[in-house]
Amino acid sequence: MTESAYRSKVSQKTLEESQPEHAMPSRMAEENWQERPISGGLSWGKVALITGIASLLALLVYNAVSGLLADFERYPITSSVLGTLLGIFVLSVSIVILRELIAYRRVNRFIDSRQPLGALRELPTVADVDRALDSQASQFGRHSFAEHCYRHYQTLKRDDQSAKERVDLYQHHVQQPVQARASSVLKRESMTAGSLAFISPNALIQTLAVMWISLRTIRRMAQVYGLRPGTAGNWRLVNVLVQNIAAQSLFDLATDEVVNQISGTLSAKLMENSAEAVAAGALNVRLGKALIKLLR
Amino acid sequence: MDEKVSEWVAAMRGAPDASRQLLAGWLGKQTHRFTITGLSRSGKSMLFTSLMTMLKYRTEAGYECLPLLTRLPTSLVDSMYMEPLPGFEMFPVDEHLAALESGKWPQATDTAYGFRLIVRLTEQGRFKRWLMPYSEVVFEFIDYPGEWVTDLPLLEKTYNQWSDSAWAQQSGGPQHRFSTRWREFIQDFDFEQEPTEARIAEVVSEYRAYLAEAKREGITMLQPGSFLLENDSLSLTSMGFSPLPSTVTSDPSHPWLKAFTANFSAFKKDWLAPLKDKVFREADKQIILIDVFEGLNHSREHLYQLKETLSHLAETFVYGESNWLSRTLLRREKISKVAFVGSKADSVPVSERDALLSLLTQLTEGARAKFGDKEVDFEHFLVSAIEATDEGEARNAVRYRNQHGDYVEASFEPFPKTLKDMESDTHYPVLDINVPKDFLPRILNSRGMDRLLQFLLG
Ligand SMILES: Nc1nc2c(ncn2[C@@H]2O[C@H](COP(=O)(O)OP(=O)(O)OP(=O)(O)O)[C@@H](O)[C@H]2O)c(=O)[nH]1
Ligand SMILES: [Mg+2]
Repeated sequence: MTESAYRSKVSQKTLEESQPEHAMPSRMAEENWQERPISGGLSWGKVALITGIASLLALLVYNAVSGLLADFERYPITSSVLGTLLGIFVLSVSIVILRELIAYRRVNRFIDSRQPLGALRELPTVADVDRALDSQASQFGRHSFAEHCYRHYQTLKRDDQSAKERVDLYQHHVQQPVQARASSVLKRESMTAGSLAFISPNALIQTLAVMWISLRTIRRMAQVYGLRPGTAGNWRLVNVLVQNIAAQSLFDLATDEVVNQISGTLSAKLMENSAEAVAAGALNVRLGKALIKLLR
Repeated sequence: MDEKVSEWVAAMRGAPDASRQLLAGWLGKQTHRFTITGLSRSGKSMLFTSLMTMLKYRTEAGYECLPLLTRLPTSLVDSMYMEPLPGFEMFPVDEHLAALESGKWPQATDTAYGFRLIVRLTEQGRFKRWLMPYSEVVFEFIDYPGEWVTDLPLLEKTYNQWSDSAWAQQSGGPQHRFSTRWREFIQDFDFEQEPTEARIAEVVSEYRAYLAEAKREGITMLQPGSFLLENDSLSLTSMGFSPLPSTVTSDPSHPWLKAFTANFSAFKKDWLAPLKDKVFREADKQIILIDVFEGLNHSREHLYQLKETLSHLAETFVYGESNWLSRTLLRREKISKVAFVGSKADSVPVSERDALLSLLTQLTEGARAKFGDKEVDFEHFLVSAIEATDEGEARNAVRYRNQHGDYVEASFEPFPKTLKDMESDTHYPVLDINVPKDFLPRILNSRGMDRLLQFLLG
């Protein structure tokens, strides 16, 4: 062979060990992440729901009765039962809201510390990207969906990927699915907001309900990200929240006024409540969207 | 493996009726025609085998073997199946996998094989889904012996032109050393004798012996490479030829010149032209597969020659953006996307991969110049069809199991940054890598295929 005339630039030595075996690549993330039940809060939620429905029913009966006996004086017993029911409802909702308020503060630290992915793409080396993403991911709570995605993402790293490809990979396998999950949670929550607004017999209860759902939305979504409790409140979020509640109350006032104009028949009440339900749902969507944007 | 790759899902496929197929054609079918251009041993067959295996395991078992590929999202892939390409024998993927299973590399390809790979995606758009529940991405690939591809430039040449250029090549460049015997043979041969069938056969067989020797020595410009393979449609009696000395070619009435000119024409008309139409037919995307290591294995001259060969090859394809009209009505396609792929990237240590990519980029300069001012989207890639090696202790080393079953560590001195920098008296011998026992995970863990597909599907 003529090759022997050339000097070889590869030196070889035989090793004692034998060739290691490769493992199969990881599999697609199966949809095995489950939202964990909200402990404790559920029972209060149930109480609220049951009493809410009971109130509605009572109110319907009451409305019917008072419609029929419009000229008669109110029955004291009916009004006191209704009052008690409403009292319990308001109390339970308030407790639930308190819980949500505490949980809500988790979102902040994440929002404050995280770097936008666009900036990460500019990082010079893969190691830099890994470090940035690792520190971001260290805030995902254990067993959260985000952590689940992140662990899967880890298995997709290959030594030949560039910094930009790493970020794309993260975006595709962590950020996007987490956001999709958050959106679906939001959709569900907003449906609940709408339904609660629909069945709420009066403005006070409705405001409380909307507030509760709004906070619960934040908490559920924070759960998708698995965020741990933070310290300070996030004012942008509070802003949206307050605006939502104010808008809902304004809307209530307006619809109440309309209902007053066309007299308080049952169908008018129904109409009012449906309009408010749509509004509550829409406002909750707005809240969630703001949240998703903040968490992005 | 318990199940044959080629059979999988094929059974699932109910024959779609004609009208729906027509509708599908309008609505939801993307056909990607790929032409792969790769010299002999450049890794074409392994690339196809690996591609099919990866797509199969990804679709059916959800293995994330192509992490960077987002253009065929796993969540949308419903199923996938293979079909033979009309007019071709089915690509023998099962045989290739069986060979790997038994610890051998797939055999060199000796004829043309084709296949169609159909990936069926669930339609996302609601309206589209109502019309057509699926859209299909169809890949068409043709595998062939690499020896054929270097003959394409002959179509544009006359016998005399070719003969002259063949001599020019043999007397310079790395071939010079291996062509001595052949050149002496021609010098001593008496061309005053009548060109009988037997004498023609003698000259042609001597020429083939030279070609075979040159191929063993890493020469890439082998013309006609088709002579290196047996093929029923290529009769060397009526199509055989070799270069003739200029004393013969300068005399238009010379019987040998007449005989070889006739054979040359027959070779072009009856062998090469049909081959080009069938095997190298029009495609919209091209993968130019280059084994850079093969050049480094031999010498700097070999690398320069490889570069020249690539640019000759690029001359035989039509580049540019084809529009809807030419594509649909005239059925004429130009290549608008070219992936220059450095194959067998796993045999190079991590520390040298950037240098390898840069060498690859230089090797394709001539070929890219052929695009002219046409709009051709191109990129360079390093791809392995199988991760046959492991990382070494140092970044400049790889480990592999050699043909004797020993586990070896090979340490590399830095690759030259440019072709010019390659010292003329050094080389990087090709590693004698054996098929690893765990070839399946190593195929699924191979590098760069995702990036390549992502580019080609874009
Ligand atoms: N390490 C390594 N070796 C490879 C890889 N791909 C191919 N090879 C080696 O290259 C040889 C040639 O590969 P093939 O795929 O048969 O090449 P081809 O282009 O089909 O060759 P022809 O059929 O002769 O044109 C194989 O036998 C392997 O030894 C790869 O990804 N990694
Ligand atoms: Mg082959």
